[in-house]
Amino acid sequence: MESSAAISALQASLLNSGYVAARGLAVTMLMMESIGRPLLIEGDPGVGKTEVAKALARVKNTRLIRLQCYEGLDTYNALYEWNYQRQLLAIKRAESGAAIGDDEVFSEKYLLKRPLLEALTQATAPVLLIDEIDRADAAFEAFLLELLSDYQVSIPELGTVTATTIPFVVLTSNGTRDLSDALRRRCLYHFLDYPSFEKELAILQTRLPQLQARLAGQIVEFAQSLRRYDLKKKPGIAETLDWAASLLGLGISTLDEAGPEQIQDSLATLLKTREDVLSIDHATINRLVAAAG
Amino acid sequence: MEATLTAKITGFVATIRENGFAVGINESEDALRIAETIGIMARTPLRDAWRGLLCGRADEWHRFDDLFDSYWRPPNRQKLVESRTSGGGALRRDDSAPAGGKAGPALQHGADDTGAAGDSTAKAGASGAETLETADFRTLTDPEQTRAIDIIIRRFARRLQRLKTRREIAATAGHRLHLRRTLRRGVGGGAHRLHFIAPRRTRPRLVLLLDVSRSMSLYSFFLLRIARALSMALSDTHVFLYHTHLTHVSDALADPDPWRAQERLAMLSAGWAGGTRIGECLAEFNRKHAARLVHKRTAIVIASDGYDTGEPGLLGRELHSLAGRARRVVWLNPLKAAPGYAPAARGMAEALPHIDVFAPAHDLASLDAAFSALMAAL
Repeated sequence: MESSAAISALQASLLNSGYVAARGLAVTMLMMESIGRPLLIEGDPGVGKTEVAKALARVKNTRLIRLQCYEGLDTYNALYEWNYQRQLLAIKRAESGAAIGDDEVFSEKYLLKRPLLEALTQATAPVLLIDEIDRADAAFEAFLLELLSDYQVSIPELGTVTATTIPFVVLTSNGTRDLSDALRRRCLYHFLDYPSFEKELAILQTRLPQLQARLAGQIVEFAQSLRRYDLKKKPGIAETLDWAASLLGLGISTLDEAGPEQIQDSLATLLKTREDVLSIDHATINRLVAAAG
Repeated sequence: MEATLTAKITGFVATIRENGFAVGINESEDALRIAETIGIMARTPLRDAWRGLLCGRADEWHRFDDLFDSYWRPPNRQKLVESRTSGGGALRRDDSAPAGGKAGPALQHGADDTGAAGDSTAKAGASGAETLETADFRTLTDPEQTRAIDIIIRRFARRLQRLKTRREIAATAGHRLHLRRTLRRGVGGGAHRLHFIAPRRTRPRLVLLLDVSRSMSLYSFFLLRIARALSMALSDTHVFLYHTHLTHVSDALADPDPWRAQERLAMLSAGWAGGTRIGECLAEFNRKHAARLVHKRTAIVIASDGYDTGEPGLLGRELHSLAGRARRVVWLNPLKAAPGYAPAARGMAEALPHIDVFAPAHDLASLDAAFSALMAAL
């Protein structure tokens, strides 16, 4: 199933949808389907973790259902909730004549599906993106583990809902909290590193085809050497793309023509803390531009 | 699949497991299935696929290629592998690594011994030199000495106010209606009794950073006993020792078997009673552990006299960034109790602007007071 042809085909269609994927990632994505496990992606912010799920949804031509995790996320916001206002109205109506029973108020009509339940009840298998799982707490992680092994949930008032299709589950983590070994074992794992020069150049050219080849090369070289500096927040791919777009907007054709002032003004898209902005002065910019050729 | 090949693949998964990867029977089966579908001759896709399956965290991800090559490649080809993260090399069988969960955290040898290593003259206050002296931990679990501490800690744990979190729980009174429960309980019963939502309360997390350098040697065991009592009483407590480098000792310290706790601590304590580099140790903590351990419900407790031989300014910078992450920073300084004490030590002066509670901790009474202050600050 995961023959070389299949791998290359997936890589090509990912590229078509605007995502440059390494071969290893393509193999892992194929495995998600063949052995039916979720995919856990770790890596620094801005390396394109969320983008993997979006690209997968585009390639599979299916819905992307996203659950953004945050501290305090509970099952009411992740799984389902009853529409109380409608329930109360129905009860009020019942008081003035129309007869309704217990099972009618707690029927699908009054159920609000949140992302997880939504993903289980699709006709075609969707991509379920559970973003920044490390922000949710350990209790939610344990609940998720159960859901991801059985693909069914029990709603006390309604009964057990079993998945009509098994969604492609992509989890991302920034490492603000260490995830449990149980969850890691359940998932396929991919570590996304900052891209190599070639990969970042390919991404830049895929996303911004109007960019001149020389400027694109300079931008990538600049960003790559910036990551080697001791910065508080290293620029990710998203930042490189933003910077390239802002340089395009300023009408700059090459970095050496632009001069350090103009570059420093545009660096707001690349450097995100005050310390980093202060540490990259004109002399440093000149050196980086010279190195970028 | 051929039996010998199956055995070889199962052997590979076992090797991976021995090297500390969290893989089980299911992973073994899936590894076989993948090998069948991809075919064992396609080495590179197979390596990619197994890497995705068998790795669970970033360090495993970076070690996998070496392990794969040393198992599958004939020894004379191992150095020829192209483009890898950590270069070619034979299998590293790290016996001190926590394989099988027996040993504690890996021993930290003096690899970071860069700064003042040549400065071997041990000054009375603080020095940057490391010692290889291993402390005697026999008194750590002496029942007579621990009883008084245990009483105080237990009281502290009981009194420790539970903090409000954003997670919610049903309550009988409050401002926001718990519609789900109100309605569910109301159906059938007729009368609607109101139920409410209140924020759930949890205990805060404690992270203890204990200075065990020579200048603190009078208090080190006392503090360690407190740390042991704390981690027994409160599950979410994390203890680090530092002198010229930082060591994580929570697991060893919380070992219910006192003898095993002593042994494990003795193994970890290389460098005990040496010099102090507080700033560097805080930097190491920030780099390696802070992201994982410190959140907005964390209280950081640092015990030190503030004699620092590291680079000036580093301590202040690192403590500033740590204080930004944590809820409260408490500094216990045994010297503070002395009459006429002023925080003149450079490290202490640097640290003061970033500290929420600055308290003495030289005996049990002062400790009791310090914990009261900590509770008030949380």
